[in-house]
Amino acid sequence: MQKIPLMLAKADMIIGRDVFRGDTQVGIPVCGRGTVLTDSLIDRLERLDVQTIIVEGHPVWEDGDLSLDDMLLDLSRRFDKVKDDPLTARLYAIYKANLIKSMGDDGGRQAE
Amino acid sequence: MDDKRSELKKIIMDTKTLPTLPGVINKLNMLSENEKSSVQEMAKIVSSDSVLSARILRLANSPSYGFYRVSTISNAMILLGVNVVKSLALSSSIFEIMEKNSVGLWEHSLAVGVASNIIARKLALSECEEIATAGLLHDIGKVIISLKCSEAETAILAAIREQEIYMREAEQLVLDTDHAEVGAWLSKSWFLPDKLSEPISFHHNVIQSDTHRVKTSVVHIADIIIKASGFGNSGDIFVPKIQQAAWDCLKLSQELLAEMVEDIEDKLIEVKNFSLEIQA
Ligand SMILES: [Fe+2]
Ligand SMILES: [Fe+2]
Repeated sequence: MQKIPLMLAKADMIIGRDVFRGDTQVGIPVCGRGTVLTDSLIDRLERLDVQTIIVEGHPVWEDGDLSLDDMLLDLSRRFDKVKDDPLTARLYAIYKANLIKSMGDDGGRQAE
Repeated sequence: MDDKRSELKKIIMDTKTLPTLPGVINKLNMLSENEKSSVQEMAKIVSSDSVLSARILRLANSPSYGFYRVSTISNAMILLGVNVVKSLALSSSIFEIMEKNSVGLWEHSLAVGVASNIIARKLALSECEEIATAGLLHDIGKVIISLKCSEAETAILAAIREQEIYMREAEQLVLDTDHAEVGAWLSKSWFLPDKLSEPISFHHNVIQSDTHRVKTSVVHIADIIIKASGFGNSGDIFVPKIQQAAWDCLKLSQELLAEMVEDIEDKLIEVKNFSLEIQA
């Protein structure tokens, strides 16, 4: 999941978190998790003063964002001392699988 | 050779410069032991401390706690329960110390608190709120070390980087003690209940926790998951080993662990937003 400014939202992105009026966390959500964005919906969110939204996957790449390869490398380094431990290795496997999944099928932008 | 350690204990636990718990919490403790005292009475005491009230309302309204639009302290107490407000009061006053000190550690602690809560609920344990508070406070010893021995802290951080060791090992090298033990000393001087002091003292050595091993195990696992996630900054570069005693005590399985990680990662997005908001 990724938090992006509404300006970068595009049709077909999927809402990862309920969206509320004016970027608050209160009241009734104006748009629920799992909704697929359309151009008219983006217009409507703009009118409701929403500045940022959280979307599924990792659709927007900016300078400084880590690629999937970089993230896997960081993860592997963090687990350097415990990869041989059977219990902790399970946690490593879970995180590794999650990272690959959460970056989406096309999320695996390769390191440049 | 306990000299260095006991010397240090004296310095660290010097009550004149040790952060104290606000009197509000002691008053609350007394009142809540008395069955007859009303929520209103307690709310009045909390309200007398405006900073604390603001923090409680902010925390009560934070997505991490899942309640919204709580605008008065007595509503917060009715909604959250007296114990929760007490936990909030306790943790928020400690966070006042922590927040100024280190954002990375504050994020780590907040995340371990949230993760402890999720794990406790998933396992249908009792006293989930207390477990969450224990998670929130588990590394309080690090705050004290940083407050009282800033030179040693620099040496500790250098040792972690240069020798690629765990923070506890570095603390032992430099100080002859570690943050878990310092946390234990602090818990004593603050008269924290065992259900909080055991997880604080033994979250890196679950087997030493006798009375509240379940709670200690939850905090142990939560700490490791948050370190695995790379969220916040605990001071450690490396993920520590999951202790068999904690795994057995909670009867964990690969599937259960995977579900917990998923729920925790989901919530961490909100924790990050909350942390950014509270710093603003
Ligand atoms: Fe710790
Ligand atoms: Fe920790």
